[in-house]
Amino acid sequence: MTSQITFYLSQILGMKYLSDDGTVLGKIKDFLIDQTPLPGKESDPIRPRVIAIKVKNGKEYRVLDFSSFEIKKFKRKLRITCLEVHDISTASLTNCLWLADDIQDKQIVDINGRKLVRVNDIRLVMIPAGTYAIAVDVGIDGLLRRIGIDKPIQSVLDPFSVDIPGKFILWDDIAAVDFSNSNIKLTKSSSKLNTLHPSDLADIIEDLDKASRTYVFASLDEETAADVLEELEPHVQVHIVESLPVEKVADVLEKMPADEVADLLDELAEDKAEKLLDEMEKESSEEVRELLEYPNKVVGSLMSTDFYTFNEDLTVAETIEELRRQQPEPAHIYAIIVTDRHERFLSSVSLGELVIADPSRRLKEIMNKHAVSVFDDDKVDSLADLVSRYNLLAVPVINKNRMMEGVVVVEDIVEDLLRRRKTR
Amino acid sequence: MATSIRRKSIWKNIAFFLAILGPGIITGSVDNDAGGITTYSVAGALYGYKLLWTLIPSFIVLVIVQEMNARMGIVTGKGLADLIRENAGVKVTFFIFIGLLLADIGNTTTEFAGVAGSMEVFSVSKYISVPVVAMMVWLLVVKGNYKFAERIFLIFSVSLLMYVVSALMGHPDWNAIGSSIIRPRMEFNQGSIMMIVGIIGTTIAPWMQFYMQSSVIEKGLKIQQYKYTLLDIIVGCTATVVVAFFIIVACASTLHAKGIVINEAKDAALALEPLAGALSKNVFAFGLFIASIFSATILPLATAFYVCEAFGFEAGIDKKWEDAPEFYVLYTSIMVLGVIIILIPNAPLIAITLWTQIINGILLPVVLVCMILLVNNKKIMGDYTNKPIQNIIGWGTVIILIGLSLAWLGLSLFG
Repeated sequence: MTSQITFYLSQILGMKYLSDDGTVLGKIKDFLIDQTPLPGKESDPIRPRVIAIKVKNGKEYRVLDFSSFEIKKFKRKLRITCLEVHDISTASLTNCLWLADDIQDKQIVDINGRKLVRVNDIRLVMIPAGTYAIAVDVGIDGLLRRIGIDKPIQSVLDPFSVDIPGKFILWDDIAAVDFSNSNIKLTKSSSKLNTLHPSDLADIIEDLDKASRTYVFASLDEETAADVLEELEPHVQVHIVESLPVEKVADVLEKMPADEVADLLDELAEDKAEKLLDEMEKESSEEVRELLEYPNKVVGSLMSTDFYTFNEDLTVAETIEELRRQQPEPAHIYAIIVTDRHERFLSSVSLGELVIADPSRRLKEIMNKHAVSVFDDDKVDSLADLVSRYNLLAVPVINKNRMMEGVVVVEDIVEDLLRRRKTR
Repeated sequence: MATSIRRKSIWKNIAFFLAILGPGIITGSVDNDAGGITTYSVAGALYGYKLLWTLIPSFIVLVIVQEMNARMGIVTGKGLADLIRENAGVKVTFFIFIGLLLADIGNTTTEFAGVAGSMEVFSVSKYISVPVVAMMVWLLVVKGNYKFAERIFLIFSVSLLMYVVSALMGHPDWNAIGSSIIRPRMEFNQGSIMMIVGIIGTTIAPWMQFYMQSSVIEKGLKIQQYKYTLLDIIVGCTATVVVAFFIIVACASTLHAKGIVINEAKDAALALEPLAGALSKNVFAFGLFIASIFSATILPLATAFYVCEAFGFEAGIDKKWEDAPEFYVLYTSIMVLGVIIILIPNAPLIAITLWTQIINGILLPVVLVCMILLVNNKKIMGDYTNKPIQNIIGWGTVIILIGLSLAWLGLSLFG
C-alpha cells in the first residue's frame, strides 16, 4: 500500500464508483478543483485541490463532496469508493474549475512557452492531504492514451527502444482561458497572464475565440490591458472594445498614447467612438479628438502628443535633472525638443547625445545644427526617408508658426510601413 | 437631393460588400477543382443532360451548409476543427481527421492529375509540369505572400467562366436541358447512383466546411455584417453551380451526343476538339489547369492547418518552421505524396479517385451531423442557433446522403 497514487483524468472519467459494500452507485463525470491560494501564502505556487466530483446516477447529475471519496489502486487498476453521499452547492464557489469541462480538450496558455496549447489529459496525484491536479498533458502520448491506442503503439516501438513523445506542463505554468462550457466566474485567476510580455499576450489573444478574448482581456490590470490593446490587430481591437462596457474601455484608453487611441477609434462606428470619448477624462479625450481631425496618410494621424520641450539656454545637467524629476516614458524622450523663449521649435537633440555631452554646456550648443522637422499636414511617406537618412528615433512635428504639435516615433513609422505592406 | 443620398447609401453598401467579400466566393471557386471538373465532365458525357437537376438540390444544400459555417465562425470565432475537438471528444475527432487527411491526400493527387492532364493537352509531359507546379506552389506558400497569391488566383478563376463559351460552342439542346431540370428522373442502378453521390460529394466536399469557417474568422467578420456574408455565400455558390452546369452541358451536347466515353477531364478537352474546335479544347484545358493549381495551393495547406488545430499543434504560415514543425511536415508530406502518386507510371488513378470519393462520402454525413449538433447548441451559439427550416434541410441532407451511399453500396455488392 503506497501513500501516493498518480492517475490520469482520462482513466477515471466514466468509471463506476462503488459504495462501501461494493455496489455500483453511478458514473464519474467530472472533477471540480479549487485554485484559491492558502491564506498567507498567496505568492506560493497554487495547489489545485479536488473538492467535488460530478457523478451521474441513471439520468441524474449530482455534485458530491470529494472528501468522502476514496481512490485506491489494486494491481494497477483504480477503484473508487464513496463512503458517504454528500451533495454540495457550487453556486457560491469562486476560483474553481471543472477539469473535464474547462481544461480537458480546451486551449490553455502555456506561460513559459508563451503560446496556446491544447490539453489532451490531466495528471492528478492523491496523497494523504488530498487529491491535486499537478500537470496537464499536451503531448502525443496523451492523445494516443485518450484514443486508447497508446499501449499497442508503445509495444510496437519497444523493440526499437523508442518512446512515444510526451509533454507535460506543470499546473503553475498554465492559465485556463476558455470557460464556454461552464458559468463559473474566476476572480483574478489570470494574474499569471499579467506576467507575460504585452506583445506575447496580444499574439495569444489574437489566436483565441471571441468569448475567451473578452474574458482574458477583462482580467488584465489596466496598465497591461492598455499595452496589450495597442499591440492587437485592428479587427481584434474593435471586437474587444465593442464587447466590453464603455466605462471599462474608457479607463483602458486613458492609459494609452493618444495617437494609438485615435487609430483605434477610427476603426469604430462613429457613435461608439463618440460615447467612448465622452466617457474618457477630458484631458485625454481632447488630445484624441484633435488627432482624429487629421486625415489618414498625413503626419498628424501618426504623431504622438507626448513630448518634452526645453529652453535653448538650459544646460545639459539641468535638462537631465528635469527629466529625472518628471520620469517620462522612454518613447517620449527619444528626441529632446529645444525651443526658444517664445516656445518656438529650434531643433532637437537625441537622448544619447544629451547623456554624453559635457554637463555644463547649453542645449543650443549641442542641438542638431540642421533642424529636422515636418509639418502636421505633410504626407506620411516622407517620414521613413527622414529617419533613415538622419538616423533619428523621433521626428518633431510643427505647425506653420513653428510651434510644436507632436513627435512621430520610429516604432509608429515602422508599424505604418508594415501595415501598408500587408494590405498591399 | 433624395436621389443623391440614396445613391450614396447604395455605394456605401457596395463598399461594405466588397470589403467583406471573399470567404464565400473563394470557397466557391476552390470548389470547382480538378476533381469537380472531372466529375461534371464524366457525368455530362455519360448521362447527357439527365443529371443536371442534381445541381439544384446541391445548390440549396451548399448554401445552407456554408451559411451554418459562416454563422458558427462569426458567433464563436472558433474554427470547426476546434469546435469538434472541444465538444465531440478525442475519438470522434481522431476518426474525422484521419478520414479528412486520407481524403485530402487523394484530393491533392487529383489536383496534380488535373495539372498533368491539362498540360498534356498542350503537349507538356507530366514529368515536367507536375514537379515544377508543385515546387512553385510550395515556395509560394512557405516563402511567398500567400494572401497576394490568393487574390491572383481569384482573378484567374474568373477564367472558369470560359466553360460557358465552351458549352455554347457545342450548340446545346436547350429544350432537353429545360425538361431535364423541370422533370428530374433518376435511374436506380449502381452507375447512376454513384454519379449522383460523386456530384454531391465533389460540390459539398467535407474539407470546404473547415475552410469556409476559418476564412470567416480570419476576415474578422461581425454579426452586423451577416447579410453581406450571406450574399457573399450565395454569389459563391451560384458561381460554383453555374460553372458545373456549363461543364455538364458542354460535355453532354458534344460527347454524349456522339457516344464518346471519357474517364478524365483531359479526355473531355481532347474529345471536344473535333466536335467544337481547337479553341474549345484550349479553353477547357486552361480552365482545368487554373482550377487545379488554385486548389493544389489551398487544399494541402488547409488540411495541415485543421489537423494541427484539432490536435493542438501550432499551425500557420506566419509561424517559423522550428515553431510549427508538425504543420510544415504535414503540409509538405501531403504535397510530396500527391506528386509521387501522379508520377508513378501506370498509377491506379481511377481507383484513387474512387476511394477518395468513398471516404468523402462517409465523412460528409459525419461532419454534417457534428455541424448541426454544434450549431444547435445554445451554449456555443447563444441566440444564433438554427431555425427549423435549416434543421429540416440539414437533417434531410444527412439522411439522403446516407441513403444514397447505402443504396450504392448495396447495389455494388448485390446488384
